[in-house]
Amino acid sequence: MHTIPHVKTLFFTVISLLFLFKPAHSQIHCGLVEIEQNTSVNSLLTFDSFSRYTGGFTINGVAKIKVRVENKAVIDPLCSWSLIMTIENNPSAGTPADEWEELNLYGTGGGQNPTVDALEIRVRNNCGTSPMDGFYSTFNNHMDILDIIAPMLPVTPSGTCTLNTNGPGSYLTNYDEFNFTIDIRVKPGYDFNPGIFQLNIKFRLEENL
Amino acid sequence: MKKVSLLTAAMMIAGMTTVNAQLIDEKDVTVTLDLQPVLQLDMTTPDQIEFVFDDIDEYYAGITHYGATVLKVSSTVSWDLYAVGRSTGTNGPTFWDQQIDYGNSNINAIEDLPLSLLELRQSQANSGAAASAGTFSDYSAAFSPSSIPSAQNSLYVNAGTNTAPSTDDKYIAGHKGVSGIAGNDFMQGGSYMNQNGITSDFYYVIDYRILPGLPAIFPMAHNADGGTSEDLVTASLNAGAYAEPGVYTMYVQYILLEDQ
Repeated sequence: MHTIPHVKTLFFTVISLLFLFKPAHSQIHCGLVEIEQNTSVNSLLTFDSFSRYTGGFTINGVAKIKVRVENKAVIDPLCSWSLIMTIENNPSAGTPADEWEELNLYGTGGGQNPTVDALEIRVRNNCGTSPMDGFYSTFNNHMDILDIIAPMLPVTPSGTCTLNTNGPGSYLTNYDEFNFTIDIRVKPGYDFNPGIFQLNIKFRLEENL
Repeated sequence: MKKVSLLTAAMMIAGMTTVNAQLIDEKDVTVTLDLQPVLQLDMTTPDQIEFVFDDIDEYYAGITHYGATVLKVSSTVSWDLYAVGRSTGTNGPTFWDQQIDYGNSNINAIEDLPLSLLELRQSQANSGAAASAGTFSDYSAAFSPSSIPSAQNSLYVNAGTNTAPSTDDKYIAGHKGVSGIAGNDFMQGGSYMNQNGITSDFYYVIDYRILPGLPAIFPMAHNADGGTSEDLVTASLNAGAYAEPGVYTMYVQYILLEDQ
């Protein structure tokens, strides 16, 4: 037999839990969020001449990020997305946060391993929808993030060819807004240890909640 | 009570399920950097540098070949540069090779001429030799007058090998040690190609001198650290010693290597 005060306590507990979990009950606004041909890319930059070291190594179009975001069957006006880049250097191998992961060293290795900021990255599409479109940016440490299209922005519908377009659409129908070309450049200079080093750039496409 | 607890648990599970349903996709681009070491020494020099002593003034004053060798360095790593005197070893690993002798082989005529009798002078002082512990860290001093024997330009020799000089010996650029402190014992990577101004740590003009003296005992010859004279009288312990006339050959090896 329950007393009335006990039942009241339980009632308030349930109500509190409901409020607590309300933010987690985010509505799913989009029906599909996808990077097409999302197979990984491995790019090798070989520096074997002095002119390479001096002039740097640039690969335009090292990867294409083709975005496809579809709305639900019942159109949700809040369907939008974000696209970010994260840098990873495998710290579990003992890599300092600001350096490339060392795979092998040539010579004595008495100097400095390449720093993460030696990698420059540029994102572009024909509409220039990303705020970082057209110029090279750098990361500094493992897990640093660069926003191509930042999360939680107001919805900018596709087809407008404007900054921060993040509404539903596809590279098939709006190629100039939904296709991102990635360029990379490395100018190591003469201060780094010779050897083989590695970084991973992760592109993450998410629907905004 | 029990029913309410079950309801709460069900709501929590439902809440967690909703969080995991956010649509996400990812793609990876892995960049591998292969930094191969490039050490490049460009040298402009005649195949043979001849010193022909056929006049008494040349014995007294010596013969100097100015700018006979130009050394240009490009390196992507920290580096050292040194010169070492070598021969084929006909007369021993630390002596010039005697190709032919003139005269009657007088008992005081010495055929073993030390490789260190050759003097070098580099155009640009060594800016990476603060760690040097010797009297002379490089070959940048002007040639000493013939009346003042000096070891400051005497060529480094190491028992006929090309082993790198010690902290007491001469380098052209950089020095022995791996302190990692700029200016201490290495030259930073770079190239003569992108230097400005009239001097550069990546560009050296080398002058050569041989001064036999009279009698021809080569007073400038010294051991590697400059502490011991190797002139023919001192080396042979013969006060009447002099160089046997003849034709002699040797070679200078320039070695560019990663700092060590």
